[in-house]
Amino acid sequence: MTEYTSTEMMAVCGSRAVRDGERVFAGTGLPVLGALLAKVTHAPNAVIIYEGGNVDCQNTDLALSVADSRLCYKAAASIGLIETLGFLMMGGRVDLGFLGAAQIDEYGNINTSYIGEFESPTVRLPGSGGGNDIASSAGRIVLMFTHAARKFVKKLDYLTSPGHLQGPGSREKLGLIGGGPSLVVTDKCQMDFDEKTKRIRLKSVHPGVTVEWVKENVMFNLIIPDKVPTTPEPTAQELEKLRSLDPQGIYLGKGQR
Amino acid sequence: MPEPVVEDKRISLKEVTKKIPNGAHIAWGGFGYQRPPEAFAMELIRQKKRGLRIYTCGSEHDLDILVGAEVCLEFEVAFFAIEALGLAPNLRRRTKEGKVRFEDYSNLSMALRFLGGALNVPFMPIRHLLGSDMLTKARLRKDKAKVIDCPFTGKPIALLPSVQADFGVICAQRVDPEGNTQIFGIKGEDNEIARCAKTTIVFAEEIISNEEIRRNPDLTMIPGLYVDYVVEVPFGSWPMQVYGYYDYDLPHLQMYVQQCRTEEGWQEYLEDWILGVGSHEGLLKKIGEKRLKALRADKVRGY
Repeated sequence: MTEYTSTEMMAVCGSRAVRDGERVFAGTGLPVLGALLAKVTHAPNAVIIYEGGNVDCQNTDLALSVADSRLCYKAAASIGLIETLGFLMMGGRVDLGFLGAAQIDEYGNINTSYIGEFESPTVRLPGSGGGNDIASSAGRIVLMFTHAARKFVKKLDYLTSPGHLQGPGSREKLGLIGGGPSLVVTDKCQMDFDEKTKRIRLKSVHPGVTVEWVKENVMFNLIIPDKVPTTPEPTAQELEKLRSLDPQGIYLGKGQR
Repeated sequence: MPEPVVEDKRISLKEVTKKIPNGAHIAWGGFGYQRPPEAFAMELIRQKKRGLRIYTCGSEHDLDILVGAEVCLEFEVAFFAIEALGLAPNLRRRTKEGKVRFEDYSNLSMALRFLGGALNVPFMPIRHLLGSDMLTKARLRKDKAKVIDCPFTGKPIALLPSVQADFGVICAQRVDPEGNTQIFGIKGEDNEIARCAKTTIVFAEEIISNEEIRRNPDLTMIPGLYVDYVVEVPFGSWPMQVYGYYDYDLPHLQMYVQQCRTEEGWQEYLEDWILGVGSHEGLLKKIGEKRLKALRADKVRGY
């Protein structure tokens, strides 16, 4: 069996969330890699959009920034932010958005702004960027971040981007057209959301991770089904393509084997 | 027909920077790694400006050096980090010191605020921000955003105050002396920024003739009538990138993020790369022709 890192596992899970033909918004970091991997494996017709303005990207080199010149090479169009986050995103024309998070709560609400009190924060995180725009209007959201108990909190320090807010019906009440988060990918497990309560639920654990470990590393009551399957391992083909996409290990460099 | 006069709006980086008073509000162009006004940021630091407020969607190394030098500590902004490399190191320290104040918006919010300013309407509607703390938690503004029931549909909608900043600053690939501006690759929110400010400054990699502009008017993203000053600054976005001209200087950015984690490291960087070199020309000399040549873009790929 081929060895792989926890970061590679995440990128592969992200990639598998992309369906062929979908319009996908990829953000900075691992999602860039996940979207690209999907495009060269099972979803060649995915239309990848970056908020800086590049539409339908077929880049061959890995991008560091959502505005990277690499995304422009062979793209169908290079326009601007009102095009991507306005006409396409708020216009309701995007199927899937990838986001990261420093904290999420049990309804998948997201903090990417501050750690600590708003009045005197200990850390200023990157902020919303296009995150709030994507979380508000994309058909569904896939969240990707490395697993740590402090990230799965009962109460966010700051709500940057809406998940399912206070539960069923709350997005609709505010007129948010997007479907909200549907999947969370960490380096330990995958989670989805219970249809009825909109609360986060364990979907699968990655090989070598126990349900007990996940339970201990989430600071709210995680819904745990009776049977939790193991996440299918990356295939040799997925790993080979993934590594060729990031030969310098810019994103894949981190993570344990 | 008598020949019309081509107005010459050219000015040097040093002189144009002198026109920025302390406390000015600036709409800041460039997006992420693409075309940020780096040379301008460095000159603001050399001229020891204070008390600026910057409005932008997302910027990175350029804003972080301004925070480090305490030229600008107030931001109405959506994103501030160094993508793929981590949090902005000076911002991290100055936040801990309680010196930086943010008004947080999303990227589309900021772009629409510039559009509202450009259209000369007081606000723009948006169906985002609803349900988030960005609507309710404010620091710099009493009028950060409002939610109303739409007078047509009865459904909730957020309203954002338009931005008409004192200055709008963008970096472009090519401009003529009159300010007719060509931007290649993505535009981010630059088209709106150039039209929303009281005074607009275009920094460009290259000055071309008015004749050349008029040969391809469809390439003009910003007509000169919006532009007040034109500044030729080759490598004006280094260490970031300009599509079709040069790539980002990744080893430099990695060194920056690493070294500036401490105040001492930042002070050393400030002396070595901004103050000590004296000017943009001095900086280019320090980087060296060989390195600049290596960063030059492949004409086909654009990077």
